Formats: sequence, C-alpha cells, structure tokens
Amino acid sequence: MLSRRLLKNLDFTVITVTVLLVLISLVVIGSATHINTPGEDRYWYVQRQGLFALANLAVIFVLLHFDYKSLGKYANILYAVNLVMLLAVMFLGQSALGAQRWIQIGPISLQPSEFAKLIMIISLAHLLEKRQGRLNTYKDLVPIFAFVGVPFLLVLKQPDLGTSLVFIAILFGMLFIAGIRMKHLLTIIGAGIAFMPIFWHFLKDYQKMRLTVFLDPNVDPLGSGYHIIQSKIAIGSGMLFGKGLFAGTQSQLNFLPENHTDFIFAVIGEEFGFLGSFVVLTLYLILLYRGVKVAGEARDNFGMLLATGITSMLAFHILVNVGMTAGIMPVTGIPLPLMSYGVSSLSTNLVSIGILINIYMRRQKILF
Amino acid sequence: MVSASHVTIRKRAAVLFLFVALVMVGLVGRLVYLQSYRSPWLAESATDQRVREIPVEARRGVIYDRHGRELAVSVSSESVYAIPAEIRNPEETAARLAAILTLDREKLAAKLKQRQSFLWIKRKIDPAAALEIRKLGLPGVGLTQENRRQYPQGRLASHILGFTGIDSQGLDGVELTFDSYLRGRSGAVVVEYDARGREIPQATHRFVPPVSGQDIYLTIDTVIQQIVERELEKVLRDTQAQRVSIIAIAPASGEILALANKPDYDPNDFAAFSPKLWRNNAVSNAYEPGSTFKIITTAAALGEKVVRPEDRFFDPGAVEVQGRHIHCWRHGGHGSQSFVEVVKNSCNVGFVNVGLRLGADAFYRHIAAFGFNKPTGVDLPGEARGLMVDHAKVKPINIATMAIGQSIAVTPIQLITAAAAIANDGQLLRPQIVREVRDKSGRVTRAFAPDPVARVLEAQTAQTVKGILEKVVEEGTGRNAFIEGFRIAGKTGTAQKVGERGYAQGRYVASFVGFAPADSPRIALLVIIDEPVGPYYGGLIAAPVFGAVMRDILQYLQIAPHGGPAGKHDQETHLSVPAVINLPVADAVRELKAAGLAARVEEEGERVADQVPKPSSRVPTGASVLLYTQTPRYAAGEITIPDLTGLAPREATALLAELGLLIQPEGGGGPAGRQDPPPGDKVPAGSKVTVHFQDQPANFGNSGNNITSPNP
Repeated sequence: MLSRRLLKNLDFTVITVTVLLVLISLVVIGSATHINTPGEDRYWYVQRQGLFALANLAVIFVLLHFDYKSLGKYANILYAVNLVMLLAVMFLGQSALGAQRWIQIGPISLQPSEFAKLIMIISLAHLLEKRQGRLNTYKDLVPIFAFVGVPFLLVLKQPDLGTSLVFIAILFGMLFIAGIRMKHLLTIIGAGIAFMPIFWHFLKDYQKMRLTVFLDPNVDPLGSGYHIIQSKIAIGSGMLFGKGLFAGTQSQLNFLPENHTDFIFAVIGEEFGFLGSFVVLTLYLILLYRGVKVAGEARDNFGMLLATGITSMLAFHILVNVGMTAGIMPVTGIPLPLMSYGVSSLSTNLVSIGILINIYMRRQKILF
Repeated sequence: MVSASHVTIRKRAAVLFLFVALVMVGLVGRLVYLQSYRSPWLAESATDQRVREIPVEARRGVIYDRHGRELAVSVSSESVYAIPAEIRNPEETAARLAAILTLDREKLAAKLKQRQSFLWIKRKIDPAAALEIRKLGLPGVGLTQENRRQYPQGRLASHILGFTGIDSQGLDGVELTFDSYLRGRSGAVVVEYDARGREIPQATHRFVPPVSGQDIYLTIDTVIQQIVERELEKVLRDTQAQRVSIIAIAPASGEILALANKPDYDPNDFAAFSPKLWRNNAVSNAYEPGSTFKIITTAAALGEKVVRPEDRFFDPGAVEVQGRHIHCWRHGGHGSQSFVEVVKNSCNVGFVNVGLRLGADAFYRHIAAFGFNKPTGVDLPGEARGLMVDHAKVKPINIATMAIGQSIAVTPIQLITAAAAIANDGQLLRPQIVREVRDKSGRVTRAFAPDPVARVLEAQTAQTVKGILEKVVEEGTGRNAFIEGFRIAGKTGTAQKVGERGYAQGRYVASFVGFAPADSPRIALLVIIDEPVGPYYGGLIAAPVFGAVMRDILQYLQIAPHGGPAGKHDQETHLSVPAVINLPVADAVRELKAAGLAARVEEEGERVADQVPKPSSRVPTGASVLLYTQTPRYAAGEITIPDLTGLAPREATALLAELGLLIQPEGGGGPAGRQDPPPGDKVPAGSKVTVHFQDQPANFGNSGNNITSPNP
C-alpha cells in the first residue's frame, strides 16, 4: 500500500490534465469515427480507446507502488527486448500504409515502435546515469550515439521516419539536460544539417514527396499534398468557435484523411474552432511544464533523465503533430499524444506519464 | 551529484521549456492565421468541395403568332450527367452508357476519369434512352430535366423565329432578340457529397426552383405567313431564282404580318442546313431597289412641291447628266407625259428630271426621313443599314441615278417600311415583330404599341402618292398585280445587279412593292425575286406574286371588294389544278377534263413527267394544263412552245411566264390567235413569244393595254 506521504506527493495537475485530455480525445475520436463505422459498432473506436485508457490507469496505479529506481535494473533487458521486437516487426510484421510497423497478438495489433520510444528513454537514462561525468569529449559521446543508433536504424528501416526522429529528439533532450557541452551539441547539430543532402538520398520517394509538398502542397493536391490541404481547410473553416461537435464537414464527410489518428487535431480545430484548439494546446503546455518541473525536482539523476526523456518525447510529438496539422511542418506520421486513436501510442504515453508521476511522488530525499 | 551540476540542470530545463513554449506560441500564431485571417477562404473551400449544383433548366417561353398559335415550344427532355468522383467503375459505366447513347466508349471512359465535379454525358436525349439509363441505376450517373426546342410548324417563319443552342440559348431570330424574356432563370438542386462522392442522405438538399421564361406573341399571322411561303416556294420553283423574299406589314400599326425568304431551313434541325440559309435576307440583304424606289422620289417631289401631278415632262428616250446618258427603258422614249404618266410608265428620263429638280438636300432629307441608310430597328438580328453616296460627296449624276433607284442600296425591310409610311398617310412607324410578352400566368408584361418614328409626308401628299400608285396598277406597269374588285397601289422594279465590274449581264432583281386597299390600306407587301432565270421584269414575275398573295390575304382578312375598277375577268371562276404527274397520259387528260380543265399533251410519251401549271395552282375554269413526258423540263435548257390558241391574255401570259417565256402581245384583248414561234418549237428560256390576240370583248373596258411589255 502506498504511504500517505507518497499519496500527498501525487502530481494532481498532471493527473487532471491527463484525464481531461483523454476525455477530450474520446469525444473527438467519437466524432471522427462514428459516421464511417456502421451500425452497432458505431463507437467501437471510442470504446476501445476508453477501455485501454482505463486499463492503463490500472497499470499506472500498480506501477506507482514500485519505485521507478527499479526500472534501471531492467534497462538492459528492456533494451534487448526492444531490439528483438523491432526485428520481429521487420520479419513478421504486417504492413499498413506503406510501412511495416505492426505485430498482431491475438485481437491486438501492437506497434512496437511506440513502446520502443519509452524503452529507449529508460535504457538511455540508465546508460547516461552510469556514464555520469563522462560527457566531456566526443569520444565519450560515441557509445551513447551507437546505443541509440541501433534501434533508430531499425525503426527507420520499417520505415517510420517520424518515430526515428522522436529518438533523436529524446537523445538530444536527455544529453542537453545531462550536461553535454554546448560546443559539442552545436557541432553535432551543425554536422547533422550539413549532412542533410546525403541523408536526403536515403529517404524513400514518398518521404521525399512529403517534404516537397510540405513546401508547396499544391504540387500534388490530390496525392501527397491532399492531407495538408484538407487539414488546413478543416482548421481554417472552423474559425473562432468551430462548427460544433459532429458537425465538421471536413472530418464527417471524409475529406480529412486519418481524422481519428494523425490528423485528429484538425478535427478539434474544425469542430471546436480556435478556442477549442487553444484550450487543448494550453493543457499540453501545462503537461510539458510539469514534465520539466518533475525533471528538475527529481530525487536522482536517473529520475531526472527519465523525466527529461519523457517530456522531450511528448513535446516533440505534440509540436510536430500540431505543426503538421496546421501545415507548417512536414507530414511525418506521428500521432498526437493522448489524443490520437491508437492503443500502443495511448499505452506508451499513459505509462510514460505514470512514470513522471512516480518520479515526482518520490522527489523528496529520505532524510533519515 | 554536485550542486553546481544541479544548477546547470535547472537552467537547462528552463531553456528546454522556454524552447517548447516558444514553438507552442508559434503554433498558436499559426492557428490564429488559419482560423481568423485565412478562414473565410478556407471555409469557402470546405463548402466548395462538398456541395455540388445540378442545374435545372428553366422552361423556355413559347413563341406564338398573333392569334396564339404555337410557333416554338419547349418540350421536356432529359440530359445525362456524371459526377466522376461517384463513379465506381468508369470503364464499365462508359461501356453501358455508350451502348445506349451511341457514344464512343473510350472517349467517354476518359471523360469519366477526369477529376471534375460535374460533367454532361449527353444533353437532351430521347425518352427511351432516358428510361434505360434510369433502369441501370449506375452510381455517379444521373438524369436531369432540360428542355428541347421544337418548332411544330417546321420551316414556317424560320427566318423570324431563329433557333436555340444546346443550352437553350437563343442563337438567331426572335429567339435571339427576345432571349432575355424567353430564357427564364435556371435553378439547381444543391446536393452535399462526401469525399468519396457519395450523396449524403441526411444532408439538406436545397432546391432552387427555376424561373420559367416568358411567352412571346409575334405580330405574325400564321395563315398569312403560310400564304406568303406557299407563293414564295412556287415562284422560286418557277423562276429558278437564287433567293426570293416577301414582307407583309400592316401600315397602320407597323406590325409585320409575314416575313419569309426562300430557300429557307428547318429550325428543328438547323445544323443540317448551310449557315447561308439561316440568313434573313429580308433584313440583312441590301440591294439596289430599282424602280420601286421611284415611290420615294415621287413622294419627295410631291412633298417638296417641286412637281404637281399634272406637270408635263418630255421623254426623248435619254437624258444627259454630267456627260452620261441615261436611257429610258422604252426605246425611243415616252414622249410628252404628265407626272402621273411618268410614274405610271416608270419613265426613267422623267424621274431623272424630277430628281434633279428636287436637288441633293431635299432628296437626301426625304430619303433619311423614310428611314433609309439606317436600320429600321426591327427586333430581328443582323439588320443591315444599306448604302448610299455620302451627302457631302453627292454629284448630280448620283442624284439622277438615285431618282430611278440606282446607286443606292436598301434592305427589303427599309423599303416596305417606307412604302407602309405612304400607305399610313405619311406617318412612318418602326416595323415590329412582337406584339406582347406575357408571363406564365398570362399577364402581359410588355406590350408593343405602334412606334412612330417620323412624319415623312403630309396626309394630303400621301393621298396624292397613293392615287398615282393606284394608277400604276390600274393602267401602268403594275397591271399584273391587279386584283378584281380591289383598289391596289404599287410599283414594279427591275434592277440589274452590280457585279464585279459594273452591272452584271443577265442578273436582275425583280420586285414589286404595294399596298391594298389603296384608299384605306390594310396590307403593304414587298415581293423580291433575286436573280430569276428567264423573264426578269418585276411587272412580269413579281407583280403576279404580289397579286396572288394579296388576293389571298384580302380574302383571309375578309376585306370586302369595293370601289375598285370593274373586274377584267368577270364571273370567272377559278379552280385548283389537280396533280397528274406520274399518271399515264390518257388518265391525266381524263382527270383534267373531269376537273373542268383542258389538257394539252406537249410531248410524245406514256407517262406525265411534269405539268404546267403546277398542281394546286389556281387557274380559270377551262384553262389548259400542259403535260410533259420528258424530264426534267428546266434542265433540258430548251422550252417547248405551247399552243396558246383560245387563251385569254392573262392566261397566256401566266402560262408563258410559268414556262419561263416572255410574251410579246399584239392586237386586242380577246382570245389568242396566231403565235410565233408556232407550238412545238423549242426555244431557250427567256425567249419572246409573239401572240396576236383578237379584238377584245365589249366588257373588257380598259384591257387594250392589259398586256404590254413590262417596264424595267
């Protein structure tokens, strides 16, 4: 049983924001999917998402009983499991939308790359904690980059450019907080930008197209540019107050593709207008603020790094997804945390937030 | 962990958060841009891509004649459209539609694959095909109501009515000039579609009802139009002219009662005819009017009081103006004549002198007042304005020739409008083609009252002109326009056509303009025969057409004969010639005899190939019908001279004219006796036949001059 002291340290702000976001997500998923799902199963997506939300709440509750510190013990095993899962996807996975990302286990199709992000955070936090104080030379950075590089390449191979970029965001976020020298950080970023043209050659054609249409969606308005155009129309036509729940013509009439997953923010923009979008973005900002606060107040470096990784992951997802939906970032296919439909994504994010709560709950050092 | 490091962490965490917050602010800015600044445009895009309008055509107004007889109607017709996004299988859809609609399958398939929200597959299809397509129930293919224009009277009044295009838009004739009334306003069915092009069942389907077009009531009288067209067809056939036109107008109102040109076209299938045939020569064609223009010279001279009817003129046969000799049509001239006789004889020399007496200013003022050299403003498309020498540059020679209707080009509608003004006591009215416009409930939304343009003559002067023109028909060159029991006023005209180098040899425009009854005119009529083959004198070929048309119109309008000179063929009964073509010769002769007509077999043979007069012609009882067994008569190039023995002068003239021969009469007004060439001779078209008539019977008061050589 959790002690009274721990319960007192629960981060009620994070809990409230999370619950609110999940509730909003259920409503919006319902709006986006009920029209196109026939008959009895009209709210299948909502029920499934709701069910997994509840299940994850239970999981979090259980996990809160264990000190996050113990995650460090499983870090290497998790890292290995992660590689196995990603390899399994490569050989056994089901393809959807041009990428091999899924593994079917019974009635649930899992997307290992979602879990890979959290596992990456845990194992990297463990690694960085072990290598504490050894972040002063380029040589010190090589093993860290290699450590992240292997799963990164496996995800990139699927291909899942979005998730692999999340890995990079996590890596840099954690290195930054862990104390990488600014000189090193800027050099690496500079080198990355310099190598961009070479990197371009390794992109699949459709990925190149996505980046091209990001610059000008009208190059291919009914193909690659279609998502961006329809999403902008959806958000823009929502105006200040939105068209009302279930009344967004863009999402209800299927003009907006992926309206319950990657482009769910456009549904919010269309049906709840600027006000709705602003409220949702504010909730996310509060969540991210709390994440940074958890990192700052963590009891130890492992907790601090863990919280930083999770916050980096969430921030990258939120900013890139909303930016993509609003037409100012390329379409990379990453979901909006807690909002997009998808049980793997939802589980990963909820468990991650659970870990944040866990860290915050145990922030005070035991003084005796 | 050292505390220094802890400070770094806090600092860097703050930087990280600041960075995130900044991006977030950027995103909010982007949302403000999209949802406020750009939102009107984006909202419109959202509407555009889900709402489609299927047009519903307005019913086009009906065109009626003055008595409400239908001349142009719209019948409901269905059109097939496609919404390509909604079509599941373009290839199969194309194949099935192509089979029903007789379209090219591959082209249609390509069309159906286009990224277009709406397209027509085929417009105005027949009901059977529409039913078949409806039964197929192909997704993405629909039918909508449109209208197909029909002209129930066929070719009748085609040059007045015009025709419409595929979008039911007026393209010619009244269909074009009154398009704004007839068209109405299209409606639409507004349907909401989803991204896959499926109709949204629960969405609100707005129906914007079309507004029906208004109905037009023309001034045309279908019966008069029919009389006119019947005679035009006959004269076109008989004279082998290039073009023939007639305009009939009611002088008191300016209403056009009939207007037709032949050859014409069928507006139901206008595309099958050469666009040349669409041309309405009666308003679009400017020509040299020749002697018919002398009525304007006469009116101007009397109006300016430069001549009095009793003034004497001497015609030595030619007159010299600026070194050019203008000859009278009559060799040797007319000698001394009164002005009335100058008009009666259509004497060129006399008119040249009258014109010169008028002078340029007065003549031009009257020509302008009568509405020449500018459109009359009739509501028909393509009106020409005519052509004349610029007033500033005019020389006496121009005045001299204009006085006899040369070196000026006028349109038929201008000439009839001017003649109608004389008939209407000098008041010129704008010629009108539409009486009223009514909406669907029958309420008159626009009525056309007589539209006075100018007073061109004093009533007294107009009366004088009318009297002189009456003499032209009674005693002068217009005798062939005479109708028993009626007072007819008119003037003949024969103009040589202008070719590339001067006047063209053998190309003439024969015409006759006049009105009846002369004392209170009800009808003004202009007949134009453009380039006849054979006889070309207006008095010989146009005047009889005028007479035939006018007689039937007067009869139809139940205008009682009165006050005219005694009939030249009293108690004569006319009957219609039966059709005997293709009958064995013996049967044909028997049938004609039974009908009360005489038959003359002109060629050896078994079967009748042609007959003169043509079937349905009106001839006096006992008249002869010539039967030919060799065909074709006109193509042979030579005409067999008929036996004219015993025929009255009119009959003989009509018979010879029908054949394309000229008559050179001699002697009195009695039955024909000797003739030269003799019957059976073959002569080229246009040859003269000298006929000696016996002395006239007692009751033919004035027929000593009945048949004389026609005037130019």
